[in-house]
Amino acid sequence: MSDSALAPIDNETIGGLKTDQMFINMGPQHPSTHGVLRIALTIEGEIIKKAIPDIGYLHRGTEKLAEVRGYHHIVVMTDRWDYVSAMPNNLVYCLAVERLMGSKVPPRADALRVIMCELNRVASHLLFFGTYGIDTGAFTPFLYAFREREMVLDLFEMLCGARLTYNYIRLGGVMTDATPEWIARLKEFITYFKPRLDEYDTLLTYNPIFMARTKGVGRISAADAVNWGLSGPNLRGSGVNYDVRKHDPYCGYENYDFSVPLGAEGSCWDRYFCRVSEMRESLKIIEQALAKLPEGPVMATGVAKVPKPAAGEAYAHVEASRGELGIYLVSDGGISPFRMHVRAPSFMNLSMLEEKLIGMKVADVIAVLGSIDIVLGEVDR
Amino acid sequence: MSDKHDEKKKKPEAAAPAPAPAPVPAPAPASAPAPVPVAAAAPAAGAPAAAAPKPAPKPAPVKVPLPDPVLNRKNGRLLEDRFATWPQRIFDSKWSRPGYQLGAAMLAGIFLGLALFGGLIGELAPWADKLYALIGSFVAAKGLPPLTTDAVWIAIKVLIVLHVILLNGLWSIWWERKISAHIQSRVGPTYAGSPKGWNFHGWAQTAIDGIKLLLKEDITPAAADQWVHALAPAIVIVPCVIAFAPVLFGREMAAASLDIGTLYIFAFAGITVIGVVMAGWASGNKYSLLGGLRAAAQIVSYELPRGFSVVPVLMFAGSLDLSVIADAQAGYWHGIVPRWFIFYPVVGQVGFLIFLIASIAETNRVPFDIPEAESELVGGFHTEYSGMKWSIFFLTEYGYVLLGSFLLATFFLGGGASPINLAPFTLVPSWLWMLGKAMLMMFTFLWVRWTLPRFRVDQLMDFCWKFLLPWSFANILVAGLYLAFWLK
Amino acid sequence: MTQDELFAKIQSQFPKIEKAAIQIKDYLTVRLASKDDLIPVAKWLKGIGFDYLDMVTATDYLGPVDMKGYIRQANFNPFLPEGATPEIESAPTAGFPYRPAIDHLWSFVSNADKARVMVKLETPRDGASVPSLAAVFKTANWQERENFDLLGINYEGHQNQTKILTPDFLQGHPLRKDYVHVKDRFDE
Repeated sequence: MSDSALAPIDNETIGGLKTDQMFINMGPQHPSTHGVLRIALTIEGEIIKKAIPDIGYLHRGTEKLAEVRGYHHIVVMTDRWDYVSAMPNNLVYCLAVERLMGSKVPPRADALRVIMCELNRVASHLLFFGTYGIDTGAFTPFLYAFREREMVLDLFEMLCGARLTYNYIRLGGVMTDATPEWIARLKEFITYFKPRLDEYDTLLTYNPIFMARTKGVGRISAADAVNWGLSGPNLRGSGVNYDVRKHDPYCGYENYDFSVPLGAEGSCWDRYFCRVSEMRESLKIIEQALAKLPEGPVMATGVAKVPKPAAGEAYAHVEASRGELGIYLVSDGGISPFRMHVRAPSFMNLSMLEEKLIGMKVADVIAVLGSIDIVLGEVDR
Repeated sequence: MSDKHDEKKKKPEAAAPAPAPAPVPAPAPASAPAPVPVAAAAPAAGAPAAAAPKPAPKPAPVKVPLPDPVLNRKNGRLLEDRFATWPQRIFDSKWSRPGYQLGAAMLAGIFLGLALFGGLIGELAPWADKLYALIGSFVAAKGLPPLTTDAVWIAIKVLIVLHVILLNGLWSIWWERKISAHIQSRVGPTYAGSPKGWNFHGWAQTAIDGIKLLLKEDITPAAADQWVHALAPAIVIVPCVIAFAPVLFGREMAAASLDIGTLYIFAFAGITVIGVVMAGWASGNKYSLLGGLRAAAQIVSYELPRGFSVVPVLMFAGSLDLSVIADAQAGYWHGIVPRWFIFYPVVGQVGFLIFLIASIAETNRVPFDIPEAESELVGGFHTEYSGMKWSIFFLTEYGYVLLGSFLLATFFLGGGASPINLAPFTLVPSWLWMLGKAMLMMFTFLWVRWTLPRFRVDQLMDFCWKFLLPWSFANILVAGLYLAFWLK
Repeated sequence: MTQDELFAKIQSQFPKIEKAAIQIKDYLTVRLASKDDLIPVAKWLKGIGFDYLDMVTATDYLGPVDMKGYIRQANFNPFLPEGATPEIESAPTAGFPYRPAIDHLWSFVSNADKARVMVKLETPRDGASVPSLAAVFKTANWQERENFDLLGINYEGHQNQTKILTPDFLQGHPLRKDYVHVKDRFDE
C-alpha cells in the first residue's frame, strides 16, 4: 500500500493539446465496491488510464492466528473469510485437516456437507444477483433475492443457530444432524424457489438495458483468465471448463449428476449468467443428496479433543461460491498448524482489475467489479 | 458469557438459603444505589450546609419506568415461529389470496367513490363561470375598477395551479414510495399520520419529510458561488410552475387558454436546464459540474424526440391549443373505439411511446438517471444542496412528472373524454377522467423506474439520437401520408 | 496422467529435480535443486498444459511460534477458578526439522489432464530471494506481493514489490516465526 504507486500520471500532451488527468478514489466507502476496497483511478475524460486496487482494510491475519490456535478453534475463524457463504470455508479447512490426519467422515455427514455447501451457494449467488442489479440501477431484484435468501438463512438458523457464520462443518463430520422437520422445510423451500429463478430471468437476465450494460463489457479471453488465475464463475464465464467438483471431487460429488454452466465470451453478462445457472444446478444437487441421504452418525468417532496430526503437509480445495478455495496445511505434530495458507479465490480474481480496467470507461468499472463478485473478507483474510 | 456468570452467581445464592437472609439486608442498600445516596447525601449535605444558606431541597428523582425491551427470545430460543413469514403454500392463482381480493375491492371502492363524487359535482367549468360572475358582481357592487375582477381571477387561478404542483409533491412522492415498496414486496411508510388514530398507510409521510427538510441546516460549500448557488433552485422550479399555465385539467379548465399552448409548455420546460447547469457549476467541485453538464446534455437531447413525437398530434388536431387537441379526440369510431390519438394506427402508438420515453428522460428518472446516480462515481448536480433547496429540485422532478402525465393524457389519451360510450361512464365529469388518465400515466412513470436498470451515458445518447429521433421523423412522415390520403 | 507418469516426464526433461521428502498428501510434490531452475520449469510446465498457477506460497521453518502473551492451552476453560494454572499441552514432536530456511511452494494445475504438481524450493531464511513468475503467470503478481509483505521474500524481477495486505506503518514481516510486533497507534 505504498503511495508512490498511486501518484497521478503527469499531464501529458496529446497532439499539442494539454490534457488533464483526474485522480479519483473509488474510496473505501462506496455503495458499489462490495466491502472496504479502494480503487485509485486515474482517468482522462471517460477513459481510465491507471487503476490500482488497494486492499488490506480487512486483513485480520488469519494465517498467523492459525499458528497459535488449536485445530478445532480455527474452524471458527474460517467462517469469517467469505462471510457471505461460510459453509465451504468450514468445509475446506476440515477437508485439509482430515486429509492430513487420514481420517474418514461418515457418509451422512458427507451428504449433509454437500447439501449445506450447495444451499450456501444458492444464498451467495442470490446476494450477487441482488447487488449486481443495484449496481446496474435496478433496485427491485435485490429485494426479491433477499426475500429468498432470508428463507435460506432461516433454514440455517434452524439447523445450527447462526445466519451468517455457521461453524457447522467440524473436524470429523458436521455439528448436528438435520431433523426431519428441517428436511421438510428444505423441500418446501426448493418447491417455492424453483419458479423464482424463472422470474429472475424475466427481471434481469434478458432485459435489453441490462444486456446493453453487461454484454460486451469486461471481456476476458480464456487464455487470459487462466493466466490470471481466475476461478469459479469468472473462469467458466470465459469458457474454461474447470470446476473443482468435477476436476477433483470431494465429499461424494462424483455421485451426483449435475452440469457445469459455461459462458461464451467472458463478458460480464456471461459471468452473471453462469452464476444464475449455477443456482439451478445447486438445487438439482440438493434434491439428489436429499433423495440419497444415508442414515447414520454425523460425526466420526474418535476425533481427538486436541488433534495433533503427525508431521506432514496437505492441500485441500473446494469449489466455493466465489471460486476455488484451497487450504495448504503444514503440521509439525503440535496442537496448532505449523503453517496454514489460504488460497483465496477473490484475491486472485481481484488482481486482474489492475490490468483489465485500463482503457475502460468509468461507468463500466462498477459493472466489471460487480461481475467478479468479490468478498473482501476473502481478499484480505 | 455475562448471562452465564449471572446464573452462576444466582446459583450459590439459591443453593444456600441459610446465609441468604443475612446478606440480603446488607446488599439491599448496595443494590439500590440511586435513591439511597441522595437520601444519605441530603442529610449529609444538609448538616454542613446548615451554616450556609440552605439550598432548596431537591425533590427525589422520579423513577421513569424503562420501556419494555423487545423480547423475542427466551433462553436463546426464538419466541415466535421464524417460519411464519414463509409463504404457507404455493398458490395456484393470485386471486385466491385474501390480500389480493381485499386490495382489488379497495381499488374498486375508491374508483366508484371518486366517480360518484365527481358525478355529483359535475363539470367544474360552469362553477368557475359562476365564481367569475360572483366576483364581477362584487366588484361592481363595491365600485372598484373593472380590471379588479380579472386581477382577482388570475390570482385565484395562479394560486390554484401553484397548489396543484405542491399537492402533487405531497401525493406523488407518497405514491411513489408505496408503489416502489409494493413492487419490491414490502409495504413502505405506514406510521406517519396521527399517532393513535388515522395513520392509514402513512399518508402524512411526505408532509413530515417536508417539515424535516425545512428544519435542516442550509449548507452552502465554501468553494461555491453563493449567489448562483442560491439562485439555481429558483431557476429550476419557476419554469416548471409557469409551464403549467395552459395545461388542461378538464373541459375548459386551463388556467390560461392559450392558442400556442403546446409551444409555450415546451419552451418553458426547456429553461430548467439553465438552472441545472447553474446548480452543477455553483457547487464548486468538479464532479457536480460534470454531473450537471451530463444532465443538461441529456435533457436537451431528449427535448427533440419529445417535440417531434407530438408533431403528428398537432397535424391531426390542426392547432397548438390544448383544448382544441383534446376536443379533436372526442367521439367514437363506430360508436365503440374512442377517437384518441393513441388509437390511430401505428402513428399514435409510436408517438405515444416516444413521448413517454422522452418524458422519462426529461425528468432524469431511471432508466435515464445517470446524472443522479453514478456521475463520476459521486452524486449529481444536487449533491451540495441540503434542506429546502434540495427539496425544490425534488419537487421540480415530480412537477415535471405531473406535467408529462397531463400532457400524455391530453395529447394521446383524449383528455377528459370517457373511453366507454355507455351511460354511467359518460356521466363522470371530464376533470375526473383527466385526473384518472394522468394518474395512470404517472403510475407508468413510477412503475418503469423500479423495474428497469439504468443506461450508461453513451448508450443513453445513442438511444436518443440514433433511435428515437429517426423514428419520430418517420412518424411525422407517416402522419403526413395519413393526412394526405386517408383523413380528409 | 498418474503421478508416476508425470514425474517421469518431469525427470526426463529436468534430471536434477527429485521427489520431495515430505509429499503433500495425494499430490505429486517435486523439489527443485536451485532457484535458477524455477523459470525454465515453469515455462516448460506451461507448455505441456500446466498453465494454471494455482498457489504461490512459502513456509518459514525457523521454529514453533510462541506469540507473547498467548499460551497454547489444550483444554481452554474460561471458567477456571481464580488462580488456577491453565493446562498447557506439551511441545510439538521432537525431531521435527526446524531450520533457518524458507520453503517455497508453487502449485501448477493442468485442466486437460486433471493433474496437479506442487513444486518446492528451499532457500536460506536471511535474504530469501527467488525469481519472480509474474512475467510468465500474471496470477503470481499479487501472490508474490503478499509473500513479500508477510514473509519478506524478495522476488527478483517483480515490477511492483510493495506491501499489499498490511498497513503502511507495520514494520517487519508478520508471518515470520521471529516476528515481534512493534507497538503502533492502534495498540493500547
